[in-house]
Amino acid sequence: MNQAQNPFSLSLRRIWALSHNTFLELVRLKVFYFLLLFAFLIIGSSLFTVQFSFQNPLQVLKDVGLGAMSIFSWLLGLLCTANLLPKDMEDRTLYTILAKPVSRFEYLLGKLYGVFLLLGLSVLLMSLLFAGVLAIREQQEIAELARNLSPENLPAAVAEIRAATFQMNLLPGIALILLKAMLCSTLTLLLSTLASSSVFTVLTSVVVYLIGHVQGIAREAWLAGGQASPLLKVLVAGMALAFPDLQLFNVVDEIAVGTALPALLFWQVAGFGGMYILVYFLLAQLVFSTREL
Amino acid sequence: MSATAILIKDLCKEFPVPFRRETVKAVQNLSLEVPAGEVYGLLGPNGSGKSTTMKIVLGLVRPTSGTTSVFGVDSRRVESRENVGFLPENPYFYKYLTGLETLLFFGKLCGLAGSPLRERSRELLHTVGLEEAADRRLGGYSKGMLQRIGLAQALLGEPRLLVLDEPTAGVDPAGAHAIRDLILQCKQRGITVLLCSHLLGQVQEICDRIGIMDRGELLAEGRIDDLAGKKNQIELVLENATPALLESLGAMSRASGAQVVSQRGARTDLEKFFLDVTRHRS
Ligand SMILES: Nc1ncnc2c1ncn2[C@@H]1O[C@H](COP(=O)(O)OP(=O)(O)OP(=O)(O)O)[C@@H](O)[C@H]1O
Ligand SMILES: [Mg+2]
Repeated sequence: MNQAQNPFSLSLRRIWALSHNTFLELVRLKVFYFLLLFAFLIIGSSLFTVQFSFQNPLQVLKDVGLGAMSIFSWLLGLLCTANLLPKDMEDRTLYTILAKPVSRFEYLLGKLYGVFLLLGLSVLLMSLLFAGVLAIREQQEIAELARNLSPENLPAAVAEIRAATFQMNLLPGIALILLKAMLCSTLTLLLSTLASSSVFTVLTSVVVYLIGHVQGIAREAWLAGGQASPLLKVLVAGMALAFPDLQLFNVVDEIAVGTALPALLFWQVAGFGGMYILVYFLLAQLVFSTREL
Repeated sequence: MSATAILIKDLCKEFPVPFRRETVKAVQNLSLEVPAGEVYGLLGPNGSGKSTTMKIVLGLVRPTSGTTSVFGVDSRRVESRENVGFLPENPYFYKYLTGLETLLFFGKLCGLAGSPLRERSRELLHTVGLEEAADRRLGGYSKGMLQRIGLAQALLGEPRLLVLDEPTAGVDPAGAHAIRDLILQCKQRGITVLLCSHLLGQVQEICDRIGIMDRGELLAEGRIDDLAGKKNQIELVLENATPALLESLGAMSRASGAQVVSQRGARTDLEKFFLDVTRHRS
């Protein structure tokens, strides 16, 4: 145990201990109650959509569910990450941890990984609930059709219903929802290493989220017609670099209406997200490693 | 193995004051050396830079200038903390963990695992007298209990150096006594201790050497006996002495030209010395 260590070697055991602890912290802070809101929303809209007759109720339910999953996982990641470092610094628990042979890099990675674990589990739980509610509604709809329709029309109608429920082709879309939440959490972590108050962290993170969603449209509008000044072009390019185009992650909307997601596009978006996570994390480490505790 | 546990050379630390140009000089030109196996006491009034010095030695705070090393390894390297146990002042841990979980968590960070870790944690909980509170969350611990779990946490990885920032603050008298004994045991096992405390009596009992700081500077340093001992006096502790014995002892002393000076331990000496050193500055 007393052997000298390479300063760049990472101890997976220590990182795991830290992320397990972060996960435990979030669970014991009862953040999972937040997911109850999601449950209410899904079950509530499941009951409510019965009254829509002009549109396929399952399709509406699916859109609401996926949208809610996207927002809930983002918000969960944001709120869980924002206070993680400031709290450890304020309570000085950080001193006790870093007085052990733990590098700041391991600490930061452990914390972030703990949030990722929580997000992964939350998205899994939401997906299961969502799939469950859709399955129940599917059965109800099919039973309803069987009563009203003649046997020869039934198969086509049932197929239409099936297409509108939870299907395996949603999984890549859900994976991208998770990735987007992870990306926003990493950004929040970066902001929290810079900030001195978590209000600033949360607000800035929300603003970046919003910019990330509209920047694609803004870019097109500003650069339309090829009349843009060079200065504007540089600004737009800078914005596009600093803020990821979050609209890219919303392919799930397309899948929800039945458009297939090409494998290539999926991997491109995933790679794009992974790259931003890496860059944000390394920046966070850079700031944190020089920060006075 | 290096014979020097802690080496501090020309250490300076300045903290910026927000919105002002001046800085707070927390540590100024501090140099000191603690040989392995010694118990070194760092004394000084509030705000004199004791805790800051400890944090720099542990690599938690970056020095403005100067260097520190632990067992020959620069404090800025992670490896310098492999054999070190640290008890911060006013320790505060994760409220949502129980006492046992806290030790398991920190043990994993020290590289322990499995049943050796469990055994060690249980043993330390027993040592610091927290067996009964082991499964309660730290959110409900009292100040002294937090101090005790902090001490247990510092002892987890079988450290060769213990850095204790006011280990007995908020601990009841019996607990303080137990902690004193614990530190003495560590000393017997050859563990180096860097200690900071305001309880001079306790410092006098445990420390081999002390350094007195004020406003970031080391004003005096040396062996307690040299600094505060009175070489021409000796303390006699008697049990079940009859008045007659005392009477005759007094008579014998007077006969040989000595004098019985009534004194409750030599602790007032260090106190006086401390006040002398730190007062004439202000
Ligand atoms: N993070 C910090 N930012 C600004 N100033 C600081 C910081 N930490 C310590 N100081 C200042 O440095 C000086 C030394 O503080 P330090 O905590 O080392 O004192 P101390 O000797 O441990 O005092 P005490 O006996 O009260 O524990 C104080 O003037 C303090 O205000
Ligand atoms: Mg202090």
